[in-house]
Amino acid sequence: MAASDEVNLLESRMVVPLNTWVLISNFKLSYNLLRHPDGTFNRHLAEFLDRKVTSNANPVDGVFSFDKVIDRMPSLLFRIYRPSFGCETRVTMIDLERPVESEYVPVIVFFHGGSFAHSSVNSAIYDKLCRRLVSTCKAVVVSVNYRRAPEYRYPCAYDDGWTALKWVNTRTWLRSKADSKVHVYLVGDSSGGNIAHNVALRAVEAGIEVSGNILLNPMFSGEERTDSEKRLDGKYFVTIRDRDWYWRAFLPEGENRDHPACNPFGPKGISLHGVIFPRSLVVVAGLDLTRDWQLAYVKGLEKAGQNVKLLHLEQATIGFYLLPNNEHFYTVMDEINYFINPDQQ
Amino acid sequence: MGPFDSVAASGTNSPSSTLSSSSSSSSSIAKPPPPPANDRLLVDAGYEVRSSNLRHLACRLDHLDSIFSAGEAAVPSAVGLHRSDTAVPDGFLGLPFDACAAAHYNPSDLTSWVDTLLSEFSGPLHPDAAAQLGCWSSVGPTGTFGQQNLNVPAAAQPMAALTAQEEDSGIRLVHLLMLCAERVQSGEIQQATTLLDEMQALLSYVNTSRGIGKVASYFIDALSRRVLNVGLPDSSPATTYENEVLYHHFYEACPYFKYAHFTANQAILEAMEGEDTVHVIDFDLKHGLQWPALIQALALRAGGPPMLRLTGIGPPSPDGRDTLKEIGLRLAELAESVNVRFSFRGIVAVRLEDVKPWMLRVGKGEAVAINSIMQLHRLLGAEANKAEPIDSVLSWIREMKPTIVTVVEQEANHNQARFLERFTEALHYYSTVFDSLEAACSVQPNKALAEMYLHKEICNVVCCDGAARTERHEPLSEWRQRMDRAGFSPTPLGSNAYKQAKMLLTLFSADGYDVEENNGCLTLGWHSRPLIAASAWHTAPNPPALPDPNHNSLL
Repeated sequence: MAASDEVNLLESRMVVPLNTWVLISNFKLSYNLLRHPDGTFNRHLAEFLDRKVTSNANPVDGVFSFDKVIDRMPSLLFRIYRPSFGCETRVTMIDLERPVESEYVPVIVFFHGGSFAHSSVNSAIYDKLCRRLVSTCKAVVVSVNYRRAPEYRYPCAYDDGWTALKWVNTRTWLRSKADSKVHVYLVGDSSGGNIAHNVALRAVEAGIEVSGNILLNPMFSGEERTDSEKRLDGKYFVTIRDRDWYWRAFLPEGENRDHPACNPFGPKGISLHGVIFPRSLVVVAGLDLTRDWQLAYVKGLEKAGQNVKLLHLEQATIGFYLLPNNEHFYTVMDEINYFINPDQQ
Repeated sequence: MGPFDSVAASGTNSPSSTLSSSSSSSSSIAKPPPPPANDRLLVDAGYEVRSSNLRHLACRLDHLDSIFSAGEAAVPSAVGLHRSDTAVPDGFLGLPFDACAAAHYNPSDLTSWVDTLLSEFSGPLHPDAAAQLGCWSSVGPTGTFGQQNLNVPAAAQPMAALTAQEEDSGIRLVHLLMLCAERVQSGEIQQATTLLDEMQALLSYVNTSRGIGKVASYFIDALSRRVLNVGLPDSSPATTYENEVLYHHFYEACPYFKYAHFTANQAILEAMEGEDTVHVIDFDLKHGLQWPALIQALALRAGGPPMLRLTGIGPPSPDGRDTLKEIGLRLAELAESVNVRFSFRGIVAVRLEDVKPWMLRVGKGEAVAINSIMQLHRLLGAEANKAEPIDSVLSWIREMKPTIVTVVEQEANHNQARFLERFTEALHYYSTVFDSLEAACSVQPNKALAEMYLHKEICNVVCCDGAARTERHEPLSEWRQRMDRAGFSPTPLGSNAYKQAKMLLTLFSADGYDVEENNGCLTLGWHSRPLIAASAWHTAPNPPALPDPNHNSLL
């Protein structure tokens, strides 16, 4: 165990910048403390350790944000990010929901990651990521503070995502001028990617149009142990053990990882043949041990005749998109922008 | 604590603590030193970690990780956190989970958070963790790695009093450095590694942007490379260009090379009075910065300038350019503009000992000046079972019967056989050099690059052995003996040179530089510690002290 630890740590060190390594390692070690073997979670400690930022209606780098509580039971909160209205303007209460002015305004419904258990809309890393998405894509971003495991299992997170989608879709102030429609993109990383897929499924059923799905290292799995899981176990910050813990915490009790929420194209999955599913961009980090499951997801969409683009970054580890200090970050931001704004290139 | 209370986060609108730039390097106001810069990206993520501390923090995280992997199931109980089936909030490290805990622990301060966890969990350093310490192949003490850019320290900070804690930590660091060197000397690598870890921890209490903190961090880095076999910052010949950049900035940042060139030129000028053809052989041309001044001085010589031939020796350029020739051309242009007949020849050699006298094509009737600025010491190392090249080189120099040999060398004994003595000497020597840089140079990036230049020297002295160790500085007293044995007599550097050297120094802002006369030689030092020694020599009329096997007669 000791010898392979040496190799393991050596490898992760070699492929990420030092500050990224420090950041992700810190998460890994802190999260170790939060997960109890009996499936319980130290929520208080988690909230204490999570670095949070307030929303800020004053534009910073051209982006301002505000929080919106849209439901009290259960409490559902969004953080909305918008491009500022010109350099000098101070944003007042009236301006927060001022109608968008452009012919085409992409609205990103964002689901943060954290393996269904960690992080919130006000986590610093996700607040920053949302701001970057606004700047890069000239989009409005609605970040959803979905209910987390293990306190709230499947399907709570999907319910909250669905509520968010319906809410966004019915905001007149988010309608693009050109066609008076809200152009929604479901975007998420890790568990957020999984939520995006599942919310898209509901949208399809209900006939709500989603312009596209963007999944960054989406969290999928299955009972089978794939090659990448075996090969990369413990090597790049993530272990099979912790992945299993999170699925046990999210899925209904008694269910295994072939549950369709976890394994959408597995033995219990539903077929998407003939379904008008949104076009998808799936970004896979080659050094993520769940890589094979993500690639299987892409295959599943392809086989069902769906429009999916795969961006496979073979040298990337989890979390590469959190700090703009590596080429993968810029590649992905460009791809996302191109996916959302194909005409503006 | 609810999920939406913002906790001490720096947010997206407050910049990380920035260093205030100051143009004065000699302020006497005792302001507290500004905090070193935090890594900007980690600040955005809500964490305050000094860039200079990243590598150290990473090692601690490593260590924590190895502890966790070693005792996975035991972790929660080790901390006293309860596996709670009830709604009762868990305690954290023994404290009830409330404002009390928040007051004691700031999770944004990653370094102390990690240290807290370590002190909760760990005993002695896990042996595998110790080995893992060596895996950080960073470029320098600032902990850069992979794709991250080098953090250059900001412009000069006002000189300020050290806090008492900093002073204590500084003293302790020096003590630990010496201890660690002793362990290395006696081959106790495990202990040395432990000490390295301790020193890294101590560095977080010390201001590593100046003073003892800075010097210590370079030496800790060098020691780490030696102990953990990590390798040198860069040793490939392809980095010749980078070396040139570093040299250039070191040249600008402090007076050492300027002084060396100036003093040597003065000696050559005086020795060549009355000569019609002067042939200068420069053992390391570099950028040829020494020669414009000599050309101009010769142009103004009473009675007109001589014909000047310059032979410049230098390493091959990796990119196929003929750097030597380019420099030669520029010098030729200058000479032409002041009406000095001039010709240049470049000799490409990887090692000085590969140059043979016949390559230099010294002509009949030429007065030869051999110019060696910080080069002779490179000839003191030897490959296994071979003689030191210095003897054969000095021998052919003597045979050439040069009118003058100018020698400038670092005034230090970094060629001692025992590692411990070498290390101690280097620590004191480079501390002084860094001090002088600190005081005399506030311009960036000159200062940072000058430090990198020195960093490479330090690493060579500390980490290398055998033929790889080229920085084998020896003090003037040793060189005197060598030159004497090789059949040279000293040419005193006159009072003229002394006075002019002193005047040259007034052009530099800091008062701390000293020029001293030492039995016909001149030394340049910082606050009475000589750092560079310049001397001049000519062929002794008597034969060399040791019999030369190539000569049968005594003449």
